[in-house]
Amino acid sequence: MKRIEVRLSLPVVRPLLDVIRSLVDDLHSKPAAHVSSPDPDAEFADGWTRDLVATQAGDVETLIAVFGEEFLSGGLVHFDQSNAEAIARSCSAVRLRVREKFLKGISDESLEAGEVEMATLDEGVRKAFTCYLFLATIQELIVQHLDESIIGS
Amino acid sequence: MSSTAGKSNPFSQPQPESAVQLAPVWRVVVLNDPVNLMSYVVLVFRKVFGFDEAKARKHMLEVHEQGRSVLWSGAREPGEAYVFTLQQWHLTAILEPDEAH
Repeated sequence: MKRIEVRLSLPVVRPLLDVIRSLVDDLHSKPAAHVSSPDPDAEFADGWTRDLVATQAGDVETLIAVFGEEFLSGGLVHFDQSNAEAIARSCSAVRLRVREKFLKGISDESLEAGEVEMATLDEGVRKAFTCYLFLATIQELIVQHLDESIIGS
Repeated sequence: MSSTAGKSNPFSQPQPESAVQLAPVWRVVVLNDPVNLMSYVVLVFRKVFGFDEAKARKHMLEVHEQGRSVLWSGAREPGEAYVFTLQQWHLTAILEPDEAH
């Protein structure tokens, strides 16, 4: 089984986990992305949303687990077939929620083009934006190295 | 012999056109969002629809440049399943009737 190990800087990454943890309750209760049930029936739509949130909550727990004891003791994280899919998805979920909660002042165009002047952001927004970029890096790493594991699973 | 005899004859066979009703066709559409990475969207299209890299990339670019791409069309039930899976991957996906059918 293909496995990626990454050693991260604890002082840099630990504060970013606070951003992720601040969103966990929210991600356990509502979908991160815009959800449109194809059936207007209220019961169907509720079940649809509930099932999406259940998957999302499990994925976020998998992401949090990556930054457990092993990470806190030496900065080591690992990704493999067992967690790649959930982490790739949860990176998207958290990024969507970070965008909605902390980065409303940044236009879609700037965000999409990656043209954001870090120096102009206040501290809280800068931390959230750094977390947003950090999760993109993790996701990109998984897409590049574990894509076949995900597609084949 | 009248050419319209069948129309007024109650014992005539029904016209085939009136006996066949085509099932409606639905389209799975993915809309653009400013957050999801291009490489991630390509991966999701490969995973969900079994596309090769080139086809997945073509649809991703359509989403990125035109704001939307039709990923699949067919019966409603599998369309719903595709939309659900795409939403599980946090893409903005909708099911819409295919007006051309």
